Amino acid sequence: MRKHVLGTIVLLMCFYATAAAAQLGPVNGDAEAGAQLYYDHGCYACHGFSGYGRKDLNNTGSPWLTNEEIFRAFLRARFDVAPLLPSTDMPNYPVNALSDAMVSDIYAYVRSMPDNRPETADVPALRIILEAAERRQYKP
Amino acid sequence: MSNDQPDHPIDISAPKIAPKVDRRSFLKGAATGAAALAVSPVTQAQEPSAYHASFTAPSYQQLQRDTGMVAPPTSGRAVVRPGSDLMVQALKDMGIEFVASNNGSSFEGIQESIANYGSPPNHMPEYITALHEESSVDMANGYAKAEGRPMAAMLHGTLGIQHASMAIFQAYNTGTPMMLIVGRDESFIQAHTADDMAAMCRSFTKWDAQPKTLPECIDALHEAYRQAVTPPTGPTVIVIDMELQKEEARDFVVPPFRPAEIGGVDNATAQDIAKALFNAKNPRLRTGMLRTPEGVQAAVQLAELIGASASTTATGGPMGFPQRHPLCGPGADTNYDYVLGLETDSPDISLQRPAVTSLTAQRDVMGIGFGSLREDYVPAPPGSEPTPQEQNQGQNQGTVLTVDAEASIPLIIAELSKLMTPAGLREIEQRKANHASANRRAFLTDLWAAVEEKKKGWDLSPVSTARIYAELWPLIMNEDWCLASPSNFSGAHHRELWEHNKPYSFLGSQGAGGMGYGLGASTGAALAARGRGRFVVNIQCDGDFNYGPGALWTACHHDLPMLSVMHNNRAWHQEFMFIQYLAGVRGRGTDRGHIGTVLRDPFIDYSKIAQGYGMASEGPIDDPTLLAAALKRGVESVKNGNPYLIDVLTQPR
Repeated sequence: MRKHVLGTIVLLMCFYATAAAAQLGPVNGDAEAGAQLYYDHGCYACHGFSGYGRKDLNNTGSPWLTNEEIFRAFLRARFDVAPLLPSTDMPNYPVNALSDAMVSDIYAYVRSMPDNRPETADVPALRIILEAAERRQYKP
Repeated sequence: MSNDQPDHPIDISAPKIAPKVDRRSFLKGAATGAAALAVSPVTQAQEPSAYHASFTAPSYQQLQRDTGMVAPPTSGRAVVRPGSDLMVQALKDMGIEFVASNNGSSFEGIQESIANYGSPPNHMPEYITALHEESSVDMANGYAKAEGRPMAAMLHGTLGIQHASMAIFQAYNTGTPMMLIVGRDESFIQAHTADDMAAMCRSFTKWDAQPKTLPECIDALHEAYRQAVTPPTGPTVIVIDMELQKEEARDFVVPPFRPAEIGGVDNATAQDIAKALFNAKNPRLRTGMLRTPEGVQAAVQLAELIGASASTTATGGPMGFPQRHPLCGPGADTNYDYVLGLETDSPDISLQRPAVTSLTAQRDVMGIGFGSLREDYVPAPPGSEPTPQEQNQGQNQGTVLTVDAEASIPLIIAELSKLMTPAGLREIEQRKANHASANRRAFLTDLWAAVEEKKKGWDLSPVSTARIYAELWPLIMNEDWCLASPSNFSGAHHRELWEHNKPYSFLGSQGAGGMGYGLGASTGAALAARGRGRFVVNIQCDGDFNYGPGALWTACHHDLPMLSVMHNNRAWHQEFMFIQYLAGVRGRGTDRGHIGTVLRDPFIDYSKIAQGYGMASEGPIDDPTLLAAALKRGVESVKNGNPYLIDVLTQPR
């Protein structure tokens, strides 16, 4: 068991190191099916209904999203040995909980999430907040 | 999404359910109710159950009275000056503005005196009608956090204490001063009374008394106030027998109220601190949660006198240093050579009043274990956010004097004033200018970064929590506002986007992390706001709401200036994530994490609930482009004297 754990750590570290410098891999799954799985499995709880949440997914540059293989390894790696990576509270997903095909679909959906932040100048509320902060003087 | 629900506002100009109902309207309502009863299925008569309690069962007469079937018994005495009038007079003398309560026969003497004694009656204190004891104590909590002084809540015997216990526990954990008046009537239903009534909440209150005579009772009320506001501040309990409330007071006169005398540092210590501040080239004030608005003002005065930069906890809770005061921020130089901690830690010296939880060991006579299970547990100061430099310094905690900072500041100021020289004053003025410039830059830099962050998911449906705070701020920034609800579950975006310059700008968290607090506390803060031109914002979590929605009615009934915006993520979301994580750790997948943690099938319509309680409302809103206009309508409604609720379907966090 200990060997398995250490091996997994090494594998993930290798993935991580490789991924940090790698180009994004291809998308093979069905994003629409992935969207349903994303909802059914409650991914939105932490990642928001569209990828913005407690842990963002949209265009974050996360190495775990570099390609499908790394993404799958990340989901699987901590099965039954969690928390192997104490820096994250991401649940574990063994194959009986999420099949490879399902992971592929979810990956496709996550990759489809746009980074849709508007320009500040186009948002009246944000513009007012910034302008007012510049202008306002402290009053007791 | 429930598309069958109205997404347009109701007509807020239409008369709401008002407390002033004439006889004709009342009877019309009664007739409707009777008609509804007529078509209701007939309930089966209940068989008497076996009853094996160790105490005496309520008598037929007792139950008849408690269920409203008979008139209250007459005392047989012609009472001219009832004791409860004197109790109310004592409350008046102490400046108690409000007594919140859900009715109870064990304090009917006091309730009647509030209603009829004094000129004008029902004023100072005013009776606030709560629909649940937990709400009434949460109201006292919100009021005291906003004002820095207590109001009272009345509880009906054993029942009232148990209903209120969670709210008392929350107040205890934040050290909120409040007076809890518990009615006791040993001649009435046995189950509603106890020999030592306060024992049920002794582990999480500061002080209690069960006086035996009327003079003792007045003394106890006075002492309860003093104990509540004297560090360690916290809830106090006075159990008052019905006999005392109905007793003829004859010529007994309520003695004058003697306010609490709260001590600060001694003169020698004040001199030492003043010298150290004066001799420092870059003094720093680390400020935590002061006790009252006067304490905040004193801290500002001290910072201005010595030209010290100051930290604040105002974004995390009440009674903090004003966030946009020119001296608030890291300052021009973060290498501080002397740091004075005011209700927070410091590498040099800090003045910190004791927390009421420090009394738990001696108060926990039942051995429940509150406060003793985790000996290493030290509650963090609310909203304490030290700079990185201060965090490092925090590793090296200096001298801690267990003394009230607020009472100490005037002494330090007096000593400091004696040391001032023209050269010193010039240096201080220059330092203040440098700090003001640097703090302004730091604030704006942080704000720009925050705005960039808050744009994420701006146009998404359901609505992002950041957008609620961002859209609301321009509408209230020129109002005298108070954010009364906890904000962690809704993202706490006000911390970065809003300016917290008043002692009551933000009232902080629940205290013990318990749900059901937000609406009641906001209602209490709105009591404090009413008549002071203040405006209360309640960003209301849906899970929290459902513990005590009746406070909406209280807000309407008493015309309270409160805007509630639902953070409706249709779940107890924190628990949802916990269950998911555990299922994940166990390798079982997360597709069943919703069981027991979400609020769907059916969805709850909070706008309709609000309307049922008589509150103007709209929603649910899931289109973010409709949010700003809805918030504007809500703000206008509240400014016109009508509390308002907007149901917004939100992202989970």
